[in-house]
Amino acid sequence: MRKQNNLICLLVLWSLLPFCWQIYTSFSTPESILNPFTYQENRWTLQNYIQILSANPPFWRYLYNSLLVGLTSTAITILIATPAAYSLSKAKQHLSNTLKLLLLAAALFPYVLLFLSLLEIARAIGIANNLFALSIPYSALSMPLAVLLLNSAFSDLPNELEEAAIVEGLGLFQRIRWILIPLIAPAIASTSIIVFLFSWNEYPIALTWISDSKLITLTVAIARIAGSSVYSVPYGAYAAATVLGAIPLILIVLLFQKQIVSGLTQGAIKG
Amino acid sequence: MYPILLLPALILLFGVFGIPIVRYIWLSFHTSSVLTDLLPIPNNGANWIRLFSDSRFWQDAIQTFRFAISSVILEILIAISIAILLNQTFKNRGIVRTITLLPWALPTTIMALSWRWIFNTPYGPIEQILTLFHLNSINILSSPKIAWFATVIADVWKTTPFIALIILAGLQTIPEDLYEAFKLEGGNEFSAFQKITLPLLQPYIFLGLLFRFAQAFGVFDLIQIMTGGGPASTTESLSLYAYLNALRYLDFGYSSTIIIATFILMIIFSLFTWILIRQTKSLLSIR
Repeated sequence: MRKQNNLICLLVLWSLLPFCWQIYTSFSTPESILNPFTYQENRWTLQNYIQILSANPPFWRYLYNSLLVGLTSTAITILIATPAAYSLSKAKQHLSNTLKLLLLAAALFPYVLLFLSLLEIARAIGIANNLFALSIPYSALSMPLAVLLLNSAFSDLPNELEEAAIVEGLGLFQRIRWILIPLIAPAIASTSIIVFLFSWNEYPIALTWISDSKLITLTVAIARIAGSSVYSVPYGAYAAATVLGAIPLILIVLLFQKQIVSGLTQGAIKG
Repeated sequence: MYPILLLPALILLFGVFGIPIVRYIWLSFHTSSVLTDLLPIPNNGANWIRLFSDSRFWQDAIQTFRFAISSVILEILIAISIAILLNQTFKNRGIVRTITLLPWALPTTIMALSWRWIFNTPYGPIEQILTLFHLNSINILSSPKIAWFATVIADVWKTTPFIALIILAGLQTIPEDLYEAFKLEGGNEFSAFQKITLPLLQPYIFLGLLFRFAQAFGVFDLIQIMTGGGPASTTESLSLYAYLNALRYLDFGYSSTIIIATFILMIIFSLFTWILIRQTKSLLSIR
């Protein structure tokens, strides 16, 4: 029992300490940042937060941009993945297995390597530097996992259900919309959250597509702050930026922990 | 089956996965750089010849492999321990599980910046603690010998929760009766772990391994922000090298060559790892 508690403490510390250190740094004055372990008279300050929130553009702008991209990508992904997953669940065993294998390969693919070609495509059709256009690659990149997750939810539903609906005279769209979607709502919820997290956290494509500093997403903004100078000492503003950037995610994890866990593990158990 | 419903998804996937790969292969046989105003001009495989004698590419390949293997092995080991811990009953299990998940949910850019600050010399906490005890500075991120391991630690911190969750899901599928029956037969806890837990967890461990290895092999955000590839490009990954070639040196042709070469290496390494796992499995005689 004692040993178990110690291990749990260790796990919690390991997960939280790096982040706690950021919070601590973000509220420290420049002097106390330089000497974190010695006694200081005026140790705490809000100056770091004031600095990044009054910068041009203010920091909340990046959070807003990321939220916008996240929501549109999630909506597009679910809109396209749901019918595809349904169709896949009705396909012949052999075909559906082949397709699932291909989707798994696409999900495993290190997508970072696609950045150059995607940038060329974006420039060719003139959608670089457009915040909403980012949702297209984001939806495409989340598509394999989304289809696999939703497909396993559809496959779990009993066939009789749909047969009964057909007897009642419901068309394909009506069946999907009014019978099946309500039943797989939990799977849609967890898929949505995982897609949203992916778009919120995505970096290489956002980095190469968007150069207008008013349109960059949170991750790119953080990287720009990091890139401005590697050894510059007043680190307080960086820390404040990472704390503000992390808060929405901490809220998401606290609110949707169940959906995230089921989304991540569904694929593992059934796949 | 209604193929029409599948069509939008397939078109999107083809546009984002299919076209780029074909384009890369094609570009890798062309010069497309500032010298040609980024217009592709065929060059009879000059990029590929250059790649084979490019020592920086091979150094990065070794570094990427070293990074991927070390982080994935550490992650699997830690994740198994975490999963076993979280599978037990204790007070506040839900909260602990949520906290464990946090590092995974944070954007890589944010946590890479945090870890860069932790390893900072001389103001980061690690260096400060060393100074407190009057020990010599170890200059973590600027020493070519250990900087790469610092990036491994940061990667392990971030991605272990993901594997732990998958393995935890696997643990929960193992019926409790199996362990009880095993105990009645006189088996101890360790041999129960070896004979029941590990073999039944195998598919989950394998899935986590495969998924993480592919991701770690493409590592980009973490390295770019934590070290920028330095010191002396000892932490530079292949994807970072491809990125630098494309957007800093503006050589799209050579960048594409590196990207295709990275695909090929990744497939070779994955097969190699797979064979290695099978070999070790037969050595440990775990079915």
